[in-house]
Amino acid sequence: MKRLVLLIMLLAIYLASSALAASPDEIIQKSQTAFFYPGKDFKARVMMKLISPNGQERVRELTMLRLNTGEAGGEQKYFMYFFQPAEVKNMTFMVVKFPERDDDRWLFVPAINMVRRIAMQDKQASFVGSDFTYEDVSGRDLGDDSHELVKEESLNGKECFVIKSTPKADSANYGYKLSWIDKTTFLPMKEEYYDRSGATIRVFTADEVQEVKGFPTITKRTMKNLQSGHRTEVYYSSQDYNIGLDDSLFSERFLKQPPKKWIE
Amino acid sequence: MRKNSLVLLSVNHPKTVVFLSMLLAMVFLTQFPKMTTDTNPKNMLPATSAVRVGNDAVEKTFGLYEDMIVLGISNDQGVVNPATLTKIKRITEAILQIHGVAARDVASFTTIDNVTMEDGALRVAPLMTMVPEEEAGLAKLRQALAENPLLINRIISQDGKTTAIYIPLEKGANGKEVADRIREIISHEAGADSFQSPLVSDGERYSIAGDPVARDTFGAEMFKLMGMFAPMAGMIMFAVAFFMFRSLFLSMAIMAPAMIIIICSMGLIIGMGYPVHIMSSMSPVFLMAIATDSIHIFNEFYFRFHERGDRKAAILDTMQAIGKPLIYTDITTAAGFASLMLANIIPVKVFGFGVAFGTMLLLLLSFTLVPALLTFIRVENIERITANEDIRTSKSACFLMRLSRIGGFWPRATLLVGGFLVAFAIVGISRIHVNNNMVEWFKAGSEIRMADRVLNQALGGTSLAYVVASAEEDDFMKNPDAMRYLEGLQRHLETLPMVGKTFSVVDYVKRINLVLHDNDPKFDVVPETKEMIGQYLFLFAMSAKPSDLDNVVDYPFRQANIWVQMKTWDAQAMRQVIVAMDEYSKAHPMSIELKTAGIAYFNLVWNNEVLGDMVKGFLAALVMVFVILVINFRSVKWALVSYVPLLFTILLLYGVIGFMGKDFDMPISVLSCLSLGMAVDFAIHFVGRFRLRRAEAKGSEPLADSLDWTAARPGKGIMRNALLFAASFSVMLFAPLTPYITVGAFIVSMMMLSALMTIVYLPAIITLMQGWLLQGE
Repeated sequence: MKRLVLLIMLLAIYLASSALAASPDEIIQKSQTAFFYPGKDFKARVMMKLISPNGQERVRELTMLRLNTGEAGGEQKYFMYFFQPAEVKNMTFMVVKFPERDDDRWLFVPAINMVRRIAMQDKQASFVGSDFTYEDVSGRDLGDDSHELVKEESLNGKECFVIKSTPKADSANYGYKLSWIDKTTFLPMKEEYYDRSGATIRVFTADEVQEVKGFPTITKRTMKNLQSGHRTEVYYSSQDYNIGLDDSLFSERFLKQPPKKWIE
Repeated sequence: MRKNSLVLLSVNHPKTVVFLSMLLAMVFLTQFPKMTTDTNPKNMLPATSAVRVGNDAVEKTFGLYEDMIVLGISNDQGVVNPATLTKIKRITEAILQIHGVAARDVASFTTIDNVTMEDGALRVAPLMTMVPEEEAGLAKLRQALAENPLLINRIISQDGKTTAIYIPLEKGANGKEVADRIREIISHEAGADSFQSPLVSDGERYSIAGDPVARDTFGAEMFKLMGMFAPMAGMIMFAVAFFMFRSLFLSMAIMAPAMIIIICSMGLIIGMGYPVHIMSSMSPVFLMAIATDSIHIFNEFYFRFHERGDRKAAILDTMQAIGKPLIYTDITTAAGFASLMLANIIPVKVFGFGVAFGTMLLLLLSFTLVPALLTFIRVENIERITANEDIRTSKSACFLMRLSRIGGFWPRATLLVGGFLVAFAIVGISRIHVNNNMVEWFKAGSEIRMADRVLNQALGGTSLAYVVASAEEDDFMKNPDAMRYLEGLQRHLETLPMVGKTFSVVDYVKRINLVLHDNDPKFDVVPETKEMIGQYLFLFAMSAKPSDLDNVVDYPFRQANIWVQMKTWDAQAMRQVIVAMDEYSKAHPMSIELKTAGIAYFNLVWNNEVLGDMVKGFLAALVMVFVILVINFRSVKWALVSYVPLLFTILLLYGVIGFMGKDFDMPISVLSCLSLGMAVDFAIHFVGRFRLRRAEAKGSEPLADSLDWTAARPGKGIMRNALLFAASFSVMLFAPLTPYITVGAFIVSMMMLSALMTIVYLPAIITLMQGWLLQGE
């Protein structure tokens, strides 16, 4: 009898605690939704600064359009129009992101007036030469990692969950990742990537968060590669949600001639 | 005289002198635990030197690595087969995990980016992600390798039998640890117990090359030389000395000053904070050899004791007679080494300073410790041993006398023969070829040489230089004209026989142009417009590793970097690249400035620097030695006469080097300087003692008799000195690194030759020119 009471008490404590603190998988899922899927669609002017260890800079400036065509965590379409560097003006790039399978990517090369499909390779390849990978830009499949809540702590005055995500099998070129996820916005405030020997290789920081149409949005972020000393800073401007993007925009025709109202 | 009072003081208080000498050695010995070594040739020049500053800037601009290990894997059946490819994949994965390896920039089948068009899609991805098991996949990989000029001669040989993995190291990584880990990985893969390049297993042959490996091997061999060869040289010297003097005590008395000066001069260098470098690692053997100078004291002491029978008087007499030649031989030797301090190369300076210091200390010990030690000799012992030290009965003395009579009796014929020899030597010298090849510092059968040969035969070359093109405005390198200029320069450099491969940003642009146009060969050219080039590069950068582009262009596209791989480490090859580069620049005027950088360029610069330094030092030593001779003899005439054996020896040695076709390289040029100071020693003893003899005889002795006496008595000291010297240096002939062998062979020949020249040619000259030389006697 005593034993049964104890068992019930333990069960009650377990249920209570798991109801209070979300499971690591739920935290990560909420974070993905807040980070990569807010709104029906999204638009921003993006300025990327690629900064070499000795301070030399390369600039990428583009308009980024995103349309969610599925649920949070599901299919998405990205459209990018480049302003800078100067000689790539008018270049456009389209990505159709599918969970569970390789993305489709299309690129328009204006100098030879040609649209080319770009074969998907490593999702961890560098995004336009920056320290961000394609995965950093559009999110990583949830099922690729196992997640674990390591601790809860405050970071720059914000209460955060610290989640350790370890890639299953060899699905990543790093050992594991620690994410500091804001308990209120569920945006990642910091991410640290470690190699298999436990050394930090890359660090992501959310440097500025603004609320746009009720969606907390990271408007300035930095990714630093600790091994090469290289870093990339990204600034958003004129960001907006639910602007009424149409699926027809994501076509070869508009890749060649993107409508001005969307890209300016 | 002061030096005599010093000797007297030492003879009167021998125990104190011995104690103080030991104490001195102990003090310097305390510095030894601080010893560090430096085997990086980069440190031959100071960090502020133009070439190092330039190289650092180029490395920084293009994100290049200072150190790279190259692992070669060959299979006679071709490396593109599932078994070998699986091994390459596994080995690469293991290497990427090594701490200190710049994993993001390792170039191997599974990491190097390839640009292809597949099923209508442009693909920038690692050459091989999965090992193809089917023939179709293998054929596709073979074709990918064959059609991409970016891969041929870099990651795969023309014949498909050799591949290489390029492993850059992070700054400050320990090259030896990384190389050892790679060896472990390979021996594990091959199922071998240990790794010894080339390792052959299952049809694959593995070899490891690269600068860090060479440096570590060098460091290990250097320690071996200091730890094994210096003591061995000491033991041989001890044995030879015992054979000459038949006294254990005397042999030890010869060794004692040698040991003390080695400890003190090494201790001084270490204590001053200099790491032990290849040059200073040789100083123990040099100092040991120089210390054989004290043999003249023992030699003369034997004769004097035999004549006088009184120990203390014999010591004082000996020092009186040979004190002056001793001082001047040590000073000339020290001057020869000190001339190295004019060098710009730090390790050469340190070496010169250390040995010069040791030599001067030896001089001090010759007047203190050596006489003090002689007082401990038991009288009955020397009486027995010195019984046959008589120039009339001693066999070796007779031999020397006969030798000197060749010159004395047939002076004209002797000099004529000498004239022919000199003419012959000059022809040889005119054939001397200035070059330096650091890989050839290792023996032909060594791991490094083998690995280097394998990789150079199969691939583009292990010796790497960069040609950096700089323009004044941003984005200049995206101009089609600039691209075509770079392409032309590459083709021009590739006409040189030693240049195995070049690659630049142009190769990427052309590759994308071709691939975007479905491999239509007419697009295998530089695109027509700046927009195209800019967009192609952007396209490439969208998926390639950032370093692919960073390695070949700077951020604002003002500078482009052409990689030039050479199949030899000869400094000569780099010189030709620079000449070709300048030719091209003159023939194709454009607002682009060309400069060179990289390890091959660095080697060329410091070689030139060494040679320049040595010529400077050689001339300085030539003048210094002459001035010292004039001061010593207080006569220009006699200074000139003593100069003859020295010049003769050096001319003959370099003549032989010229005929042998051996390159005039760094070790040889260093030797030229200090050989001056050592080769003149015997002439100083000979002339000094001869003139003393003439002065003592006051004209009562015929010239021929004086020459006989000089050849037999100080001559015996000279012979003993030369033999002892040569014996201890001959150890270096068995050293594992060629510079040590060169030094050993050179010094042994030099000492033997200058001894012979002194004993044969000085009598000839003195006989022939007696009217001029002996006037006023």
